[in-house]
Amino acid sequence: MRPGAFLLRLASTDRPRFLVLVLALTFIVFALTTRDFATIYNTFNMTQYGVEIGLLALGETLVIISGGGSIDLSVGSVLSLSGVVLGMLTMWLRLDVWVAAPLGVLSGGALGALNAFLITRVGIPALIVTLATLYAYASAALVLTDTVPISGLPQTYFVLGQGQVLGVPLQVVVVFLPVALVLHALLRHTVFGRALYGVGTNEVAARFAAINVQALRFWVFTLSGLLAGLAAAVMTSRVASARPDAGFGYELQAITIAVLGGTSIMGGEGTILGTILGVLVITVLSNGLQLAGVHPIWQLGAVGVVLVMTVLLNQWLARRRLRTAPRAA
Amino acid sequence: MTILLAADKVSKSFGGVHALRQVDFELRAGEVHALVGQNGAGKSTLIKILSGALLADTGQISYEGRRVHLSSPKVAQDMGIATVYQDPLVYPELNAMENIFMGRELRDRFGHVDWRAQHQRATQLFTELGVAPTFLLEPMGRLSIGLQQLVLIAKALSYASKVIILDEPTAILTQGETERLFTVVRRLRDARLGVIYISHRIEELFAIADRVTVMKDSEVRGTFAAAEISRDRLIDLMAGHVARAEMQAGRRIGDPILTVRGLVVPPRVKGVSFDLRRGEVLGMFGLVGSGRTDIAHALFGITQPSEGTITFENADVSVADPQDALGKGIAYLPEDRKAQGLFLRLPVRFELSAAILRWLRRFLGAVDRAQEERTGRDLVAALAIRTPGLETPANALSGGNQQKVLLGRWLARQPKILMLDEPTRGVDVAAKEEIHDRIFQLAAGGVAIIVISSELPEILKVSDRILVMHEGHVTAVLDRSEATSEALLRAATGERREYAGTPA
Amino acid sequence: MRALPLERPGTPAAGLRSRGAALVRSREATVVAFIVLLGLYLEVATGRFLTLDNLGNVLLSSAGTAIVALGMTLVILTGGIDVSVGSMLGVVSVAVGYAAAAGWSLIAIILVALAAGTLLGSVNGVVIAFGGIMPIIATLGTLNILRALTFQLLRAKWISDLPATLSTFGLGLALHVPVAAWVALGITLAFLYLAVRRPLGRHIYAIGGNAEAARLAGIDLVRATLFVYAITGMLVGVAALIYVGQTGIVQSNSGVGFELQVIAAVVLGGTSILGGRGSVAGSALGAFLVAEIKNGLTLLNISGLAEGMVSGVLILLAVGLDRLRARGRRA
Repeated sequence: MRPGAFLLRLASTDRPRFLVLVLALTFIVFALTTRDFATIYNTFNMTQYGVEIGLLALGETLVIISGGGSIDLSVGSVLSLSGVVLGMLTMWLRLDVWVAAPLGVLSGGALGALNAFLITRVGIPALIVTLATLYAYASAALVLTDTVPISGLPQTYFVLGQGQVLGVPLQVVVVFLPVALVLHALLRHTVFGRALYGVGTNEVAARFAAINVQALRFWVFTLSGLLAGLAAAVMTSRVASARPDAGFGYELQAITIAVLGGTSIMGGEGTILGTILGVLVITVLSNGLQLAGVHPIWQLGAVGVVLVMTVLLNQWLARRRLRTAPRAA
Repeated sequence: MTILLAADKVSKSFGGVHALRQVDFELRAGEVHALVGQNGAGKSTLIKILSGALLADTGQISYEGRRVHLSSPKVAQDMGIATVYQDPLVYPELNAMENIFMGRELRDRFGHVDWRAQHQRATQLFTELGVAPTFLLEPMGRLSIGLQQLVLIAKALSYASKVIILDEPTAILTQGETERLFTVVRRLRDARLGVIYISHRIEELFAIADRVTVMKDSEVRGTFAAAEISRDRLIDLMAGHVARAEMQAGRRIGDPILTVRGLVVPPRVKGVSFDLRRGEVLGMFGLVGSGRTDIAHALFGITQPSEGTITFENADVSVADPQDALGKGIAYLPEDRKAQGLFLRLPVRFELSAAILRWLRRFLGAVDRAQEERTGRDLVAALAIRTPGLETPANALSGGNQQKVLLGRWLARQPKILMLDEPTRGVDVAAKEEIHDRIFQLAAGGVAIIVISSELPEILKVSDRILVMHEGHVTAVLDRSEATSEALLRAATGERREYAGTPA
Repeated sequence: MRALPLERPGTPAAGLRSRGAALVRSREATVVAFIVLLGLYLEVATGRFLTLDNLGNVLLSSAGTAIVALGMTLVILTGGIDVSVGSMLGVVSVAVGYAAAAGWSLIAIILVALAAGTLLGSVNGVVIAFGGIMPIIATLGTLNILRALTFQLLRAKWISDLPATLSTFGLGLALHVPVAAWVALGITLAFLYLAVRRPLGRHIYAIGGNAEAARLAGIDLVRATLFVYAITGMLVGVAALIYVGQTGIVQSNSGVGFELQVIAAVVLGGTSILGGRGSVAGSALGAFLVAEIKNGLTLLNISGLAEGMVSGVLILLAVGLDRLRARGRRA
């Protein structure tokens, strides 16, 4: 088989495997061309930058799988606002930071639940609701702080975002991997996961199979908020302050990563593994470009190129498969 | 007499199954020609061939005396053959006038949409139809189905059609709307158009048709002047004689498990009462839109009745939603397998466990995968579902096996009441037999079963009792001994006769 | 807005109401009522709203949003969306900035802006119409790519000290009204004409309403899709002229978040995000309302930071009330 044909087959059959390939190729290219890239230090260190956006992308994955046009544009703003809540509880109400942090995370869940309420109970399309709360939450964060980042958090808290275990950033070990594992188990091995794919694939059939569609969507949007709150807790620790604009623009990156990882915007398809690989590809790309002296903005540009190319390739392959399928049968 | 459209010895088969056999049909200018027959008799295949949606295998179609090749609906349309389908294809947000002209707008010399001309033309079209054009500027989605149909008829007229095919136009119309449609159809006839009118409703045919062609088992049984054929003869030709299977030995029908009194489900069910007993198969027969499916939806909690009582296991109940229904032991196999039933892209294992997820829940919400697979394997074996494996997506299976998968999903729940809506639609003969056998087995095991079907032979074969519906009312409840296809068709077309057990 | 000549019926009632009905018109009336009531309140509360200067400011700040919102309305009517307009605005602004800095004539700069915008919009259109990619995904991709391109073109600097060539667009007045507002009004009229009188405009509504029926009716879906994205790009070109003329500076973050303002204006104007229903006039009014709110916050000395909260709540209220009204009608 020609290598080209092999690549195509790989991409068409299995998005995760295709992404592993992309990841390996990217890594090799940077290792050969960029100094300091392929060091153990850098390899481990760069993963910390993927944690926050990765958590958002995981939430987005759940939301998009649930189908029916579900999407969460507000994750970046939820991150900003729940970070501010964390900061305020610590600095203004003088709560212990280890008490304030979980409360900050929960506030993210509450913001997500508000989205969920408007979508499932009032019946406003998710795109509109989360577009509106994208504005509203971001603005609330700015108003509460008057645009000034909340700093002066206790040093002990910074261990979460700046500490390391055996050279691996702490937040990867104690936050991202456990969360990803739990979500993977949730999707693959629980009743909730089964119902989620069912609803995303065929909402009407799910209803006739006595699956509670609205309750499911409610939890998915709430979870997405919760994960954004968690991302805020990590980021506040990593940058040592609660910035009111911390999550600005993150929503689009999060969606991009989820789709790159094989989540279908039509719902019903997508995996945690795929999204993790999506985060890795984006992280390696950003880091490599950064070390190569390319400005951070091109990380986004590269994300865009990778996204469009991946989906185009996927579409093309799907059509080819459709055309060739009858002959095979 | 000018012959507008004619089919000469047309045959068509799908995968070796004959849908049409040597069919002759002709439509004259200035006549309303009714086409009648049971579901599956071949009416829709013939219509599809005449409207260009299907090509005949053999035989010829001629139009205005010339042999024609109707390769697509567009070709037929351009020649002047227009079809108005039962479910109108409309732009719900655009107004009625725009729906008429969309894609072929009247334009002025600058290429603008000429609203004035369109408005005039639409007004004129409706005037020709004898309908006051008061709704031209209303969004289509807010018009009743009846008015939407009239708009589509006006649309057909707007491109100078000579033949108009109406596919079961009255199935979902109210009495008033039907009258109005008849007035319109008569005007079309008087304007020398040819109208092909498909309907199940016998009494309507006598009100509107000049000639009637009866189809049965993929063949034409005859064409008659409406004035010269009796209602009884027509029903006889349509029904033929259906052999009935003998009642299975060892079946014992028990006490009522479900009692429904005065059930009203807007908009179609207008007061229905019946009992369902343990171990009984209750057939529900009636035309599309007569309210059969709506009753099942109400009992399954998909819709809410506005009036009436439901007594289940001697207690008055209400069914809030499908979860509630399943909790009580009431299951429903929906009529549209692809839209409402299967997830299709997901593996057979999931299709089979979708309704028992709650039972598979273990520690922390985990699915008991071993139990899930065991259940799946058991069901595949019990129902003889032909699938490469449990992980095969359902859309890779044949229609019959898909239906068995869906049946399996509900059997896994071990329901006390199982409602099956068109359980063998689009299913091959062998699978159909298997599904029927399974229905008998379940009933023998004490499950109370409701079978909703449009197929007479099926209803006659599986039912212990048959409840016949017409426009939201029960018109007959027939015991197995007195159920004949004639009696069923009569009751389904609205003839109310006193049978033993008919609720007042 | 009452005197829009094209909305005055050629056929009594027909021309006006044919646009898709009372439903939409009532929504436009709601937006106008909102605008008027808010205006009255601001005037009573501050005494500074109904001045020529202030109204001019509101018009000026709504012009760019309104212009792009017109194109976005067509995109959303077909059932699509374009989230790349903000990044597009960035790239076109850079082109405009360089052209102005190089001392090109006004005509040449205008041509550059329109050509660049149309080109970028067409890329979206081609990817969506021929590539078969969901609009949200395709334009999400170009959003990122074009933002990076803006940065690349500026090479980490910004363009300022521009010659006055473009200031007419940004700051000029004609009959006491900003030139930009006249431009927006003109384009709104042109779009009303397109949406109401041209077959293509009607086809766009049809596609969003029922794509399958439209295809069977022989409507060219590819052509219409290409058109709506390309024209949106072109309008971004116009908005870029106004933007650069107004601020006199082009930075790498020019136009960031612009897409959300535009979508908000369209949604406030009553266009259904699901396609098929909406109005271009409503979107222009929606853009004005957004600008008026921003202005009101300034006048009331409320921190401009609260703007997002106010518009967010407003969007939810407008759409939420619509939903409730729709439910009431069905019952």
